[in-house]
Amino acid sequence: MYKWYAVKRIVNGLVVFAIILFLMSILFNAVNEETMRSSIKEQVRSEAQRLKGQKPEQIIAFQKQRQEQLVKLYKLDRPFGERIVYRWLDALTFRFGKATILRSNRGDRDVLAIILEALPRSMLLFTTSMVLELIFGIYLGMKKAQKPGGKLDRSTSLITMIVFGMPTWWLAMLLIMAFVYGLRLFPSAGIVSVPPPDGIMRIVDVVWHMILPMATLTVLAFWGVAFTIRNIVLGILQEDYIMSARARGIPENKVLFGHTMRTAAPPLVTMSLLGLLGSFSGAIIFEGIFSWPGLGNLYWIAVQQSDIPVLMGDLALTTAIFQVGYIILDLTYGFLDPRIKVGGNT
Amino acid sequence: MNLKDLAYWFNDFWTEFRREKSGLIGLAILATAVLVVVFEPLILPFKGAAASWRNINYWEDNSPNAPPVWTNLLPGKDSAVTGTIKPARVSEATIEGGAVATTWEFEYVYQYDLPPLDLIMHLRATGNLTFQMTLQRPDGKSILLSQASEHGLANGTIRMAATAYGRDACFAFLKQYENADRVGILTSSDMKVTDIAFAEAKEGMFDNPVAQKGKYRILVTAIGNAGTDKVESCEIIVAGRVSGLLGTDNLKRDLFSGIVAGLKWALLIGLFVSFVSVIIGVMYGIIAAYFGGMIDKTMMFIYYIVNSIPVLPILIVFSAVFKPSLMTIIWIMIIFSWTGSVMTVRSMALQIKEETYIEAARALGSGHARIIFKHMAPLLIPYSFASMALSVPGFIVFESSLSLLGLGDPTIVTWGAILHDAMLGNAMLNGVWWWIIPPGLLIAIMGMTFAFLGFAMDKILHPKLRTR
Repeated sequence: MYKWYAVKRIVNGLVVFAIILFLMSILFNAVNEETMRSSIKEQVRSEAQRLKGQKPEQIIAFQKQRQEQLVKLYKLDRPFGERIVYRWLDALTFRFGKATILRSNRGDRDVLAIILEALPRSMLLFTTSMVLELIFGIYLGMKKAQKPGGKLDRSTSLITMIVFGMPTWWLAMLLIMAFVYGLRLFPSAGIVSVPPPDGIMRIVDVVWHMILPMATLTVLAFWGVAFTIRNIVLGILQEDYIMSARARGIPENKVLFGHTMRTAAPPLVTMSLLGLLGSFSGAIIFEGIFSWPGLGNLYWIAVQQSDIPVLMGDLALTTAIFQVGYIILDLTYGFLDPRIKVGGNT
Repeated sequence: MNLKDLAYWFNDFWTEFRREKSGLIGLAILATAVLVVVFEPLILPFKGAAASWRNINYWEDNSPNAPPVWTNLLPGKDSAVTGTIKPARVSEATIEGGAVATTWEFEYVYQYDLPPLDLIMHLRATGNLTFQMTLQRPDGKSILLSQASEHGLANGTIRMAATAYGRDACFAFLKQYENADRVGILTSSDMKVTDIAFAEAKEGMFDNPVAQKGKYRILVTAIGNAGTDKVESCEIIVAGRVSGLLGTDNLKRDLFSGIVAGLKWALLIGLFVSFVSVIIGVMYGIIAAYFGGMIDKTMMFIYYIVNSIPVLPILIVFSAVFKPSLMTIIWIMIIFSWTGSVMTVRSMALQIKEETYIEAARALGSGHARIIFKHMAPLLIPYSFASMALSVPGFIVFESSLSLLGLGDPTIVTWGAILHDAMLGNAMLNGVWWWIIPPGLLIAIMGMTFAFLGFAMDKILHPKLRTR
């Protein structure tokens, strides 16, 4: 029953997400409340300044009363346990409040608006580069598996190991130094030129901005993809039905990309989705280097401006993306590999 | 598994490992890195580099943004190299009125196309003294680079930089040779002291100085009262245009020293975090598999939650909020990343658990702890060595990423911190490649080393992956 399997998996994911957010609410409770208190103070002060024709005592009394009112409104006067639950509920419903410093493009102070503005840009960059990684990786991996231990296999495996621990953001720095400031081929930062061109030129402009970050990600990542695919495919190529397919005289390419690929699909999907999530996590630094205005860059800016609400919202949304990723992973896996959904265990 | 078994197992492992060329290369690089860490005090060109990395005064005698020395080997103009000169001769002379003049004579052979950026004199002195620094050029002319008086010194250090005091003298020197029209629109504040002092004395020397190569002599004279005033340990530092093995950054810090000092932190973080987290993961997997039932279910649920937390984002937020020290960062990394090896170990332990010798051990009355630690863990821990090695690069990159954001431990030098400074110092924009390439390259090389080791071990420990 795939439907039940799916429902169970999604509920499970939601529960885990709620628990993680609860843990984060405890961990970051102190700093969250500190920011809330200071924002209350700021609000009271600005309200008091707007009062006119009042005596000083009246203003002080107003400030005090207003402060208490707001503290009560934000439930800051409750016991510790209760406060955490309220913070948790806020996070669960994606109410992160107002950013202290950052603004969205439209000048909105709402944290959710700022984050949702950044999300599609990250998605754009990472899904495109992942598609490229998979195309190159699958092709190279298949070729490697065809002649294991051959020249191509050995040399590309060596490259895989050489780039294994290379930080993408460092390569990004080098490429920026060479291609942006040295050869002046690409723009240094951002997603569109200022002012952005219209119509079809806008798409061309975005692609032009995207080439360098995309190339950096792909160039480093596809070796690992190829290496994993080689190992998966190598296992499958030992199976009897491959031998029988070859014996029947089916062209090698068809055996490789037809017969083998279908069996390799489930682990392949796992790997590519996990890879996407992994690169998404590493992207925090990467986007910062390229000033690509996505979720990662938002961490970078929020850290530098010490804008706690944005940081918390960004973290919650990243966690949510990871959960969604894991759910999609299991659902596709169950879809591609019928043995999983029959068992019903996630 | 006793010691003999372990030795046997290791022998077995080593015979196979020896055949892996890449594994051996990895081992060699790792051994070199450990040696560098052990002999760090001998290797560091600036002994206090690690402790004084953020102390600007410690680095004041270097030149800012100087490329590495070996760039002189590249085609193009050669630049003066940073270095220290010791006095060739010391002489004392008595002057009228009971004063003593101590003179140190330094020899500097200048064979470059571009002059040094500064000449800095250091000495220690007691009493009331007057100091002079004179440059005697190979063509017989001399320039009084600086002159100063100090009173009431008590074994104090004196630092005299030619560029700080020598402008007027250089202007006077320039006036003798440069054509009058050019000099007329210049003032002494336009003078580049070393450019003039090391240029051929002729017309046009201000705009197009031609290097006057040859043996220069620098005379430092200290005049004070005989008996009461004392001067000692005089030396001259030539702040060159190229400096050290890897150059300097914009705060004049020697990058080679920083990189050598950062190696031990990278190794510590990588090895410690991966070791502890893999051991925790292995034990966790074994315990969950061994007890089964509710314990297994609960432990797997906790595993599932921790595994779903994105490590780097939470590390960044945690560091931004709490500004932790290195040890705290290390423990946080362990808390969020022990999950890597749990699943494989658990599935293997589930098989081992059903083996007859475990049953036999239980029948003989062994307790849970004995079975887990004596019979299961020794079988499974060797398999985790590969994943230990393969997780090292990730942790090194994690820490570097934190430092790159400026969230690392501010009391130590790490490669990430150097790159953070490079970002702040606009190294990319200014093309200061010697500031960006080495730290990242070393992160990559450490990653490569452990990848070599890990993949080699993986091949031996999981024979299925061997090329058939």
